[in-house]
Amino acid sequence: MKFAFYYSVKNMKRKPLRSALLSALVLLIAFTVFSGAFVIISLQRGLEVYRARLGADIVVVPASATGHGSVDDILLQGITGNYYMSGDICEKVAATEGVEAVTKQFFLTSAKASCCSSRVQIIGFDPDTDFSIMPWIAESYSGTVQDGDVVVGAKIGVPESGRITFYGQEYTIAARLKETGTGLDSAVFANMNTVRKMAVNASSLLKTSPFQGVDIDTAASALLIKVADGYSIEQVTDDINIHITKVKATPAKSMISDISEGLTGTSALIGIIAAVIWAMAVIILVIVFALLSNERKKEFAVLRVMGASRKMLSRIMGTEAAVLGAIGAVIGIILSVLAVFPLSGSIRDMLKLPFFMPDLWVVLLLAAGAFLISVSASVLTALLSAKKITTNDTALLLREDT
Amino acid sequence: MKLKSKGITRSFFRKGRNTNFFYALQKTDFELQEGAVTEIVGRSGSGKTTFANILSGFLVPTEGSLYLDGVDLYALRDERRSILRNRHIGMVPQGQTGLQSLTVLENVLAPAMMYGDMKGREALALQYLEEMKISDLCDVYSNELSGGELRRMSIARALINSPEIIIADEPTGDLDDDTTALVLRLFRRLADKGCSVLIITHEQEAIHYADNIYRMENGILSEIK
Ligand SMILES: Nc1ncnc2c1ncn2[C@@H]1O[C@H](COP(=O)(O)OP(=O)(O)OP(=O)(O)O)[C@@H](O)[C@H]1O
Ligand SMILES: [Mg+2]
Repeated sequence: MKFAFYYSVKNMKRKPLRSALLSALVLLIAFTVFSGAFVIISLQRGLEVYRARLGADIVVVPASATGHGSVDDILLQGITGNYYMSGDICEKVAATEGVEAVTKQFFLTSAKASCCSSRVQIIGFDPDTDFSIMPWIAESYSGTVQDGDVVVGAKIGVPESGRITFYGQEYTIAARLKETGTGLDSAVFANMNTVRKMAVNASSLLKTSPFQGVDIDTAASALLIKVADGYSIEQVTDDINIHITKVKATPAKSMISDISEGLTGTSALIGIIAAVIWAMAVIILVIVFALLSNERKKEFAVLRVMGASRKMLSRIMGTEAAVLGAIGAVIGIILSVLAVFPLSGSIRDMLKLPFFMPDLWVVLLLAAGAFLISVSASVLTALLSAKKITTNDTALLLREDT
Repeated sequence: MKLKSKGITRSFFRKGRNTNFFYALQKTDFELQEGAVTEIVGRSGSGKTTFANILSGFLVPTEGSLYLDGVDLYALRDERRSILRNRHIGMVPQGQTGLQSLTVLENVLAPAMMYGDMKGREALALQYLEEMKISDLCDVYSNELSGGELRRMSIARALINSPEIIIADEPTGDLDDDTTALVLRLFRRLADKGCSVLIITHEQEAIHYADNIYRMENGILSEIK
């Protein structure tokens, strides 16, 4: 036992190139396992969070709101948009059979000018009827959002003053929300009263107001609907689309399933790429170990001359593979953390999918898993090739000239 | 310790004209005398190394048994047999056998590190290296040694666990006359202390140190002294 460890350490030191090669291969395995799993899990988390965030069965928007700046864009990617439907349309939607609850949301884009701190999407919710935004706010803020308060998404920087300016008026930042991995992270939320006041300020400040012909007091940008038990979501959606003009109703599920289809495809692709790299690295590892043990036949025979048992030879090979594998795996995981964490924003933009980093404990679990998989791949292939050469008559190996 | 072989044969596969295997060693009964130097001489290819390897517990015979103090070595499981070999049989193999990742001193100490305790082993190693006149090389890596230096290193290595049985396959093949005499005197001394020493050799001079001499011919062992 002592000897096996002692000897393998000596060996690794005396053969730095060989050691580095083995470590590098295991590094590659750990890197692909960890990054692949990390991205896939983040995408799945993103979808879950997004689904929970929406909390509605149907989303209704003005017919003009499709395309760029649609609800999907705003919620998923934070693309800004202004569009409104009048109060009477909202009432018609609310009166549709099968609608159990409906809540208004009012979208307003802040201008990138001296009047405002930055250009963001402002989303107004109705505290009396809301079932989508407030539960989320409640996760990080126990108070109620008062008039004049705003709540900001995780990606909005909070100035030290705790205040933020929109259309010439300062607002108190009451809370900062938990990250969702979607465009909501770069939005600002306020109750309907506050947002309507902002809209009035905007109308007077902007040369071309987005509110011409809109009754700010009753209009809404989106209606979130909960369908009553016993009614089908599709049926209610169709009813709204057929009977109410100038609006477009979409089942939330189909918005999500679009995403989740994209997600399934993307996850599968990432999984396949990771699996291919992984498999290649393992195959190379098997070949390298086979070549190495071939090259080491004579060495093993010499150890046998001294009275080393087969078990001891396996232990030497196993120890080397474990130590080099552990070094490679740790470096691989550190490198992939360094690569994936800062890049998660770009990954999100590139894939156009909600991307939500898992909790720390999941990351740690993932790292431990990647470590175990990589080190055991290394140790198992080493033991396999050790077994292959030691089951032969080792005395005959002494004749091999190396 | 008694080392005794009974009906040992060893065949090898080899592509020949009419058969594809032949006997390198024919049925051999042999007992190594304790406290004596025994020598086996014979032409090249006659089966000496094959026999020495089997006696060392290193090469599994095709048939027959090898008894170490009555224990059938080849009936034991690998680990048990390896430990017994390590403790009781010192083997100097034919050919160059150094571990390249270890220095000369570490090479010599390696068998001691495997199963036993190391007490006093380093001093013993240095003493044998001194006696083999290579103590100044003890921190050199073994791949930097000459053939004769390697040979002397492997002799010291075979003796490090103070084995009762020493089997040396052409231990003086690549040594000059003075060093040869040195090695043979060492073996003589160990035999006088009670060890059983077996030397495989071509050397004429070795005959003077031997108590018993055998000849190997085509895998058949016969006593000539
Ligand atoms: N692994 C092997 N496979 C096939 N044939 C072998 C093997 N080992 C030995 N032989 C053959 O067995 C015979 C005896 O070999 P051995 O090495 O015992 O001879 P030796 O007497 O030690 O010769 P030398 O004096 O040259 O060392 C030889 O003919 C050799 O070719
Ligand atoms: Mg020989």
